[in-house]
Amino acid sequence: MKRIEDIEKLSLEELERSAEGVTVPEGLRPRLEAALAAAEAQSRKDEERAGKRWIPYASLAAAAALVAAIVIPAARQPKDSFDDPLLAYAKVEETFRYISDKMSEGVNQVREARPAAEMPGKTIKKINSK
Amino acid sequence: MKKILAIAALLLGFVSAYAQNGKSIYMKYSDAENVSAVYVSPAMFRLIGKIPEIQANNGEVDLTPVIRGLSGLYIINSENLGINDSLYKDVSRFIDSGKYEMLMEVKDNGEIMHMYTCGDEKVVTSFVMLAKDGDELTFICLDGKLDRAQLEDLMASQMQ
Repeated sequence: MKRIEDIEKLSLEELERSAEGVTVPEGLRPRLEAALAAAEAQSRKDEERAGKRWIPYASLAAAAALVAAIVIPAARQPKDSFDDPLLAYAKVEETFRYISDKMSEGVNQVREARPAAEMPGKTIKKINSK
Repeated sequence: MKKILAIAALLLGFVSAYAQNGKSIYMKYSDAENVSAVYVSPAMFRLIGKIPEIQANNGEVDLTPVIRGLSGLYIINSENLGINDSLYKDVSRFIDSGKYEMLMEVKDNGEIMHMYTCGDEKVVTSFVMLAKDGDELTFICLDGKLDRAQLEDLMASQMQ
């Protein structure tokens, strides 16, 4: 039996000569073709995957950048607008007054709407009393 | 790949949850043009509560009991049309994401005002007001632990 080293040392002509008379197994050609086609398809798929591999990493980087852009400024402590507590108190008082004024507008609207809102009830009472 | 995308989605979820509060809205818009911003810190509220002249308020409504419970006041008043829409959306998102309930809505001559509170029947932990009047948008956020009855009495007395 020939060893691989001996076969490697043979020239092309010697190889052809030794192959004469050797019968090729039936169906070898289509099997080889199918294997080659499968290998080619696999390598194409791998290339495509390698091309898309950056997408999740890029999404992760974008998400991390977004987190940094939002969390870092929010983590900073805002600076007090007043150094003097009396001025701060005046502003708080003004804010409460502003809120109350706005509330008053809402309450006034309710007062104005009350007669109209009470009308159906009064009408029903009148009808029932008859 | 799926794990990485899941982490990215988690991070985005974290951002959307994290981004919404009075402080972050204040930090986002307070430096913009045509915006006036006021922030009163918890330390300043503690100082206000200790001032004797205010505690003995002569005849006027005494805010000190309410002020003692406050831990932050954020005010953004914007006349910047470029950011008003975004500010309005951010505040709306902040309200929707929190446990706020509407206290009042007033619509008068094109002016829209919403008030929200967060807390339970006895304690208000946050108060938010958003008022839109023409090109002007005002956002007020009060954080702290406020006695609901006390706050309502105070508002009622200021209304008279």
